[in-house]
Amino acid sequence: MEIKDLHAGIEGQEILHGVNLCIRRGEIHAVMGPNGAGKSTLSAVLTGKPQYSVTGGTVSFDGRDLLAMSPEERAWAGIFLSFQYPVEIPGVSITNFMKAAVAAKRKAAGLEPLSGGDFLKLMRQKMALVQMKPEFSKREVNVGFSGGEKKRNEIFQMAMLDPTLAILDETDSGLDVDALKIVADGVNALHTPDKSAIIITHYQKLLDYVVPDVVHVLKAGRIVATGGREIIDAIERNGFEQF
Amino acid sequence: MGHGKYIAPPKGQYQVGAGQRLELQFVVLPGESRDIEVTVDLTGPGAEVDLRGLYLCHADEQVRFHIVMHHMAPGCRSRQRFCGVAGGRADVRFEGTIVVAPDAQQTEAYQENHNILLSEEARAESRPQLEIYADDVKCSHGATVGRLDEEARFYMRCRGIPDREARTLQILSFLSAVTPPERAEEVERAVRNL
Repeated sequence: MEIKDLHAGIEGQEILHGVNLCIRRGEIHAVMGPNGAGKSTLSAVLTGKPQYSVTGGTVSFDGRDLLAMSPEERAWAGIFLSFQYPVEIPGVSITNFMKAAVAAKRKAAGLEPLSGGDFLKLMRQKMALVQMKPEFSKREVNVGFSGGEKKRNEIFQMAMLDPTLAILDETDSGLDVDALKIVADGVNALHTPDKSAIIITHYQKLLDYVVPDVVHVLKAGRIVATGGREIIDAIERNGFEQF
Repeated sequence: MGHGKYIAPPKGQYQVGAGQRLELQFVVLPGESRDIEVTVDLTGPGAEVDLRGLYLCHADEQVRFHIVMHHMAPGCRSRQRFCGVAGGRADVRFEGTIVVAPDAQQTEAYQENHNILLSEEARAESRPQLEIYADDVKCSHGATVGRLDEEARFYMRCRGIPDREARTLQILSFLSAVTPPERAEEVERAVRNL
């Protein structure tokens, strides 16, 4: 994915003032920044959230113009967003939700829907990855889930949809150490040399478990520093003020 | 009145005696204008009533509910859930009254009416009314008129579910608590065509 001079905002207010990022296959990038830096705007714009508008710049993904695609087309192309606040959908079971999502993605790729048996096998396999019990599949999407369960559900969905670029938006917020480890193990298990990820976070917590190749600091709508592990250490010591 | 489940006629008066249970279900499909008037008297201790209603409007339908739930004996329970969707220029009105008589102690009476508007011109109005003359009762009512949640729609689209399918899933989800299983397919077909 290549982001060039991206300007974007919401309700007429520009929040990203020219962001540049290049993420190659196999790489994990961390985007760190204080509150209000534009982190959520970045993930919203990359996934096509309707309320946000892009006022300048380009984003290409596998050679395609990402910004011209609908949210569902971006999902079919291999982009996945793990939500900071996963949404509750009462009356829709995880099984039916995932069935609709997997079938839509397969259809877009010209494939028949999975057979019932194959689908359930895939569900069981991926639930095990984030230590979800079998009865989890019958629950309504995110309804009555604890914070940890919601985030595990996000990683479970990511495993089901097998994206080539995962965007993890504040996935570590509100997680205790055990849940954080389960989530991180899931992310690491799904990472292969042909896949990439953007980890958007305020804290270094998740980055202790999922090690990024490149670390960026986003501040006031711009990338103000790019480097490696040393940036995380600098933020841990002295916060975001220094950038 | 015995135990059991009925697809209810549009107008009715019901008496539910000691230890009896009444379940009524209302399904109003697109194209149907209805005026539904139901009065239920809970006349004996331990009577139970469960009313569920679902309505789907997409054009210029007028749908009215007038429900009177009269708790006349102690220890009775009633629950009402009415959920519907109004598009086009449809006009929905729900009037629900719960009366709890002075000696109907330990009454439990709940009423919910939730509406989703799909167009600017559609209207939904909900008028709940409680008249409680006993002091040891649990009563509640909730009424909402809103629109489909954009955040939930975006969540589904981000998972690759096409916009139209996401909208269908959202409406079916909203109606799930009031959809009779034996009519689920018919309701789903109607929602897909809304």
